[in-house]
Amino acid sequence: MNKSRQVARYEYLHHVGSKRFWLLLISIPLGFLFIFGLSMLISRFSFDTRPVGIVDQGSLIQLEPDNSKKSTFFNPQIHLYLYPDASSARAGAEKKEIQGFVMLPEDYVSTYQLTYWSNKQPNSDIQEAITSFISRNLMASENVDTAVLKRINEGGHISLHSLDRSQSSDGTGWHRIVVPVVIGLLNFTVVMSSGGYLLKALVEEKENRTIEIMLTSVPSREIMTGKIVGNLSVGLTQIAVWALLLIIAGLIFRNRLGFLADINLSGGYLAISIALAVLSFLFTAALMATIGAAMTSSEQAQSVTSLMVIPMMIPFYFFSVFLNHPNGIVARVLSFIPLSAPLALSLRMAFIKVSPWEIGLVFVVIIALTLFVFWLAGVVFKRGMLQYSKRISLKEIFSKETRNA
Amino acid sequence: MSTITVENIAKRFGETQAVKNVSFEVHSGEIFGLLGPNGSGKTTSIRIILDIYQADSGKVSILGGPMTNEKLNHIGYLPEERGLYQDVQLERCLSYFASLKGLSEDQIKERLPRYLEKFDLADHAKKKAKELSKGMQQKGQLIAALIHDPEIIIIDEPFAALDPVNTQLVKKLLIEQRNAGKTIVMSTHQMNQVEQLCDRLVLIDHGRVLLQGKLTEIRERFRTNAMIIDALDPLPEQLDGVARIEKQNGSYCLTPQEGVSAQDLLSALVAQGIKMNTFEVAAPTLDEIFIQVVKEGSDRDE
Repeated sequence: MNKSRQVARYEYLHHVGSKRFWLLLISIPLGFLFIFGLSMLISRFSFDTRPVGIVDQGSLIQLEPDNSKKSTFFNPQIHLYLYPDASSARAGAEKKEIQGFVMLPEDYVSTYQLTYWSNKQPNSDIQEAITSFISRNLMASENVDTAVLKRINEGGHISLHSLDRSQSSDGTGWHRIVVPVVIGLLNFTVVMSSGGYLLKALVEEKENRTIEIMLTSVPSREIMTGKIVGNLSVGLTQIAVWALLLIIAGLIFRNRLGFLADINLSGGYLAISIALAVLSFLFTAALMATIGAAMTSSEQAQSVTSLMVIPMMIPFYFFSVFLNHPNGIVARVLSFIPLSAPLALSLRMAFIKVSPWEIGLVFVVIIALTLFVFWLAGVVFKRGMLQYSKRISLKEIFSKETRNA
Repeated sequence: MSTITVENIAKRFGETQAVKNVSFEVHSGEIFGLLGPNGSGKTTSIRIILDIYQADSGKVSILGGPMTNEKLNHIGYLPEERGLYQDVQLERCLSYFASLKGLSEDQIKERLPRYLEKFDLADHAKKKAKELSKGMQQKGQLIAALIHDPEIIIIDEPFAALDPVNTQLVKKLLIEQRNAGKTIVMSTHQMNQVEQLCDRLVLIDHGRVLLQGKLTEIRERFRTNAMIIDALDPLPEQLDGVARIEKQNGSYCLTPQEGVSAQDLLSALVAQGIKMNTFEVAAPTLDEIFIQVVKEGSDRDE
């Protein structure tokens, strides 16, 4: 009877029942919510929603300002009020009915010079509201068709293509980085937390001196399988809960945060990203198992694993490289390293069309590296796990005795 | 019938020859002593028997053949380097170990409370291992080694952290298991326990077998013709029929002259008016045999 199921079940329930698990599960979304909420509040409270006055001295304004959209907490609006003259607008500003007013001089059509009167710098929303309103009126005065007017206001959509047609982008897809970044962050958190649990579980077997009882009850391969599956399940539970919260948050805020509506996830993209994340976890798990078996205490193991954070974070550090040169050497190399691949490849795929042969090659290389680390973990496990007081050296790992142990 | 057969096993770690041509057999219904100084190769031999290590050469047969995953369920092991999950409740930890030995949940529910009661741990079942004394933890580990009713029990220093009451409890338990036909391999440095419990033994040093056989035969083999007497008065410097007189902890050790039997010596002492409380054959203790054999082995190596 295969006992890896019992080992996996124990590992899963042991970690899911721990305070650390619940603390991490709750603290990450709460932390995000706190930061998101705080930045929203800061942005919202620093946003002056009082109307802006317009004084038309050149009789250019033919259309009434469109103040039909209500200002809400998530979507504040700047309304425009027309004033007959500068003194009434100034009076409104002094009474704080408006935050400032703009003067359209008589010679605006020839000079295109506006004067904005206020005690505060106009933010980009105010500038956009004013220029858009004036443009509409200018074009209305030239009898431009309403449909054309609408298209001009919306601007053009630029589609980018490389000369050899190997890459393409719609040019407005900045929001595409949201998905890879979320995948990267979730992968990082799950790998580090699940890998951390696995490492802890292995080192604890040594520290508690329970490994010998385990080895005389369960074949070492089944212990390893059980521990990896159990701890992967812990990570997947975390990711499932967080993903559920993200979906709920997305559904709630979809209409309020415009860019969320633009995110369109293709099945292939998701499948490749998830498959890479799972492979990356298996690679990390085997690496953690090797480290756990070779080290003698949690402290020793922790110091070695902290080095593993670096390759996982590299794509974040080189973000601009991915944006500017998604097919460059750095982005390509990082796609082949198991720890950085989930974020690196999904980032590249978000901006360009990565050729299927390259994706295939990434998978082949990562699977080969993962298998090698699994072999290494198996070799180190028996010898290292019974070496309680001295950590196993590299020379010992590759010695004939260890391979035969 | 032999349940464990070890034939010429050898194991080397780097420059160290941990075990060299070790052979012995262990039968069902006996307690077998695996003795040796620290670092002699006992633990490596046990690990080879249990298939934790692969021997470089030689052969081990368990329950009639090589070790299999199924056979692991028929072995109870109390390792020298032992422990429980420190942050886990004793009951949960033991349930887990029992499940790994193939017991169903129902079997665990039925057996575990019985064992906890037997080892006086029922009131501590919900405590974490780190909250228990060393002795209690050791009793917990003994439960883990016995709960699945194994055919082979391998225990390393079973009395190490136990008080006299619990030592007695474990001894009684081991004797019960032996009488039930179980095979017990006991590794210990406590020679008095070996003398009281073991039927046969093997003594290993520097990875080699120095001595093995039945306990009674070994003691007989190392027996001298000296006598120990507890005299009521100080003995004269010379006695008829006695070649040498040595004082030992308030008693006297008398080495008879060549050809003088114990019976002859007793008669001679009585005839010479020596008053005594006890007169006994000076059989060497297992401790003495152990030290002598190990020393001789070391001298040979040098």
